[in-house]
Amino acid sequence: MQETDINLLVGGPQGGGIDSAANMISMAFSLAGYNIYGIREFHSNIKGRHSYIHFRIMHERPKSLKYPVDIMVALDPDTLFEHMFDVAKGSKVVYDSAFNTFNLKNARMITSDTMGRIQDELAEKNLSFDVKGVLDYFKSTGIDVIAIPFDKLINENVHDGPANRYYNTLGAGTTLALLGLDEEHADDGIKFAFKKKPKVVESNIKVIRAAYDYVEKSPLKVATLPTYPAIPRMLLTGNDATALGKLMGGLRFQTYYPITPASDESTLLESHEDMKFLQNADKIVNKAGLVVVQCEDELSAINMANGAALTGTRSATATSGPGFSLMAEGIGYAGMTEIPVVITFYQRGGPSTGLPTRNGQADLLFALNTGHGEFPKMVISSGDMEECIYDGMKSLNYAQRYQMPVIHLIDKTLANTMDLVPEIDVKKVKIVKYNENTNHENFKRYSLDTENGISPYGVFGKDIFWMTGDEHDELGHVTEDSAMRDKMMEKRMQKLVTADREIPLEDKAVLYGDENADITYVTWGSQKSLLIDTISELKKQGISANLLYLRMFEPFPAEYVAKVLKNSHLIIDVESNMTGQAAKVIRMFTGINIENFILKYNGRHMTLDEVLKSTKNIMEKKTALEVLQEGS
Amino acid sequence: MQKGVEDKGKYNFRNNITIDWCPGCGDFGIVSAVTQALSNMKMDPDDVVAVSGIGCSGKTPHYLNIAGVHTLHGRAIPYAVGVKLSNPNLNVLVMGGDGDLLSIGAGHFVGEGRRNSGVKVILYNNSVYGLTKGQAAPTLPLGEKVKSLARPNIMGKINPITLAMASGYSFVARAFSSEIKQLSYIIERAIKHEGSAVIEVLQPCPTYNDVNTLDWYRQRVYKLEDDKSWDPVVNKKEEDEEKFDTGYRKSLEWGDHIPIGIFYENNTIPSYTNRLAGIVPEYLKYPPALQEVADKDGYTIVDPIKTFSEKDVE
Repeated sequence: MQETDINLLVGGPQGGGIDSAANMISMAFSLAGYNIYGIREFHSNIKGRHSYIHFRIMHERPKSLKYPVDIMVALDPDTLFEHMFDVAKGSKVVYDSAFNTFNLKNARMITSDTMGRIQDELAEKNLSFDVKGVLDYFKSTGIDVIAIPFDKLINENVHDGPANRYYNTLGAGTTLALLGLDEEHADDGIKFAFKKKPKVVESNIKVIRAAYDYVEKSPLKVATLPTYPAIPRMLLTGNDATALGKLMGGLRFQTYYPITPASDESTLLESHEDMKFLQNADKIVNKAGLVVVQCEDELSAINMANGAALTGTRSATATSGPGFSLMAEGIGYAGMTEIPVVITFYQRGGPSTGLPTRNGQADLLFALNTGHGEFPKMVISSGDMEECIYDGMKSLNYAQRYQMPVIHLIDKTLANTMDLVPEIDVKKVKIVKYNENTNHENFKRYSLDTENGISPYGVFGKDIFWMTGDEHDELGHVTEDSAMRDKMMEKRMQKLVTADREIPLEDKAVLYGDENADITYVTWGSQKSLLIDTISELKKQGISANLLYLRMFEPFPAEYVAKVLKNSHLIIDVESNMTGQAAKVIRMFTGINIENFILKYNGRHMTLDEVLKSTKNIMEKKTALEVLQEGS
Repeated sequence: MQKGVEDKGKYNFRNNITIDWCPGCGDFGIVSAVTQALSNMKMDPDDVVAVSGIGCSGKTPHYLNIAGVHTLHGRAIPYAVGVKLSNPNLNVLVMGGDGDLLSIGAGHFVGEGRRNSGVKVILYNNSVYGLTKGQAAPTLPLGEKVKSLARPNIMGKINPITLAMASGYSFVARAFSSEIKQLSYIIERAIKHEGSAVIEVLQPCPTYNDVNTLDWYRQRVYKLEDDKSWDPVVNKKEEDEEKFDTGYRKSLEWGDHIPIGIFYENNTIPSYTNRLAGIVPEYLKYPPALQEVADKDGYTIVDPIKTFSEKDVE
């Protein structure tokens, strides 16, 4: 029997219950023993504009998404237009039969640029500018179009508010029925999705029944999907996983200013300030909870986090590109005065306000070069849920150990990826404390009596010492003495050498796949799991490939990266930016010049199919630069 | 340092670092008043922290024998709030200039009024940016020409007292750098007040401000408390409207007579730290700075599944 591999897209208006539908579908499948992997795409808008979730459902844990999807569910007519090209022969399109008379010119929420592209396509094929035209396009391509009478089915079964309140449940229910998932799991999905609103569970379950009944009585019914024992897991996004990791890593003070796609981390933490403890904490009296502060701006957020660190608190902030730009000066201060602070940096499409709700990896060089002057900082990056959790813990450890700002890069794709995480190992990462000061009299906060550059850490409330962003002496007072300046610069920068020496290679760079391969991909961030999948796909086709995956950019594992790349044949750099920033970093640190690129900067996540296709084009020497364009 | 001094009242809050302010600078008076207040309160030097911004005022923490942070231009308040909220047992003093707090840091000045986290802001007001050679500060009146300006000031001035009151500070006062006794008393009162405080200190800049000189101030200032009926303290919510109104109107007086003293003190507004204690019950007892985050073997004590139970699928 072929392994279940369902690719699914659910689209509808923002604020139209897409999240509930997604939650319900995810839960139904996970309770049936499946794994799901989904990415949420949305506009910078509260209500009305098009949003969607792109899913993959497998028994094994999926690592990537692909187009075309097997089923597309349209909760509004816009979805049919926006995703015209995301379906192909053999796909099913489910939509509300009421859309049949919808004209494209009434789709006011589709931006004029997108509208123009759709009209051009329809015109070229001599099709009308309406739903009928799109449906004709689907039919001519060999796509099954399935019209469901949404209002009729809902009005016949529930009498609780307007019918459109249930569109999302009906869409999700129809999808599950069409896929052959048993109804009991669909009901469980409803119970989970509406856990906080038990009153609406009953009527939504009636809608599920209606959907299943409709499909059963139609010629659409398919074979029942197998179910598997479901193991306990957590349904996490990258935002959730990072929040969880930071909390486990001892975070007790977080600041933020609202910004997409970072604030979900902080608001989640805000709702869990009174955290729950493990049994090993039973004997620990001094435990309480977390403080999350919504600040007046990002200048305040970084500097308040710096301030909290001065009392010995493990503190952090989270932001995205525009906020990070404002934080640069505060990060420089933390570098100069040796403050342990973590900045979780969720990258989105830039520059400026850019694409506020879309993906980007264009801030790597900015993170490496944050702030004026030369000061030590660490730059790390995560690529999947587990890394978000454990890097969240490690980021705080690094900050404490090396007394410097740690910038933790995560991209929007990963922040908004939904994934089922099977287990969280509370003993995987030990909590590292700062180098505690034992001499409270005549304390030298910036003692030069250190080989590794790490001076004893002082804590307000226990130690008297001074701090200044000016160059300073061992006590922390301002100095402009030329010799002291040299010593302090060297002491601070020495800490990066120490970090490089102490941190194991697997936290800096990892080679996935065979050591000797025809193709070596280089990437970082959310493309990690996608490229691991790509390697397996290529292997099935008889092509050997491996992946040099980068996790730490400062300190940079130059020697190892050079060793791997010198043994490689065809090197392809894969990034979600226009200029190949990681490749530039590699060239800067190793002198190796990567010449082949697969890049994407339209703000959408990369998919398996487009990477495979581009790889072949590069292998056949058709091009050295592939710019990916998929995604609505 | 002189830590470990048995009698806390004899601790020397001034250290041996050479002060490099100009002779006649009003900042000297502020240092004297701060150290007097701390000595008078028999403050444990470990329990107080000085946080400053940039400029002449920014150097103050270096001259005090307590933990001190000389931060970035405009950012003293966020640092101070970070210290205060992570360890509310500490008394946190903010020392900033008029440019620092009311221009580059104005957003934080207003934001802190809303928070009321309990930091005490001492605002050094000499109407000029001294360390960059005398440009107009946001407290210099429109049309005023001090000697360092090329032309009369083209911008209007901010009244620090009205701005502080409008922002929500629950303790608002004005002092004069040469009236050290009164300033010291106000600082003590502010430290004892639970919420956040703003103390505007009028002071001369003998090098760059030749208008608002020591004598200019001496001829004009008068103390609010000299009027025995002056009572700016709100202890019941229903007194607030009238006392806020009276204090606000009084603060508008400027020119031949300049009032100094406490304009407004409201003890009915809960501080941010008390608001937090309503969410995390043990917060005041075990604030972030005093919490243990790992067990004896160094492992986390946070239960990821119970904490994020809504994400658990079983």
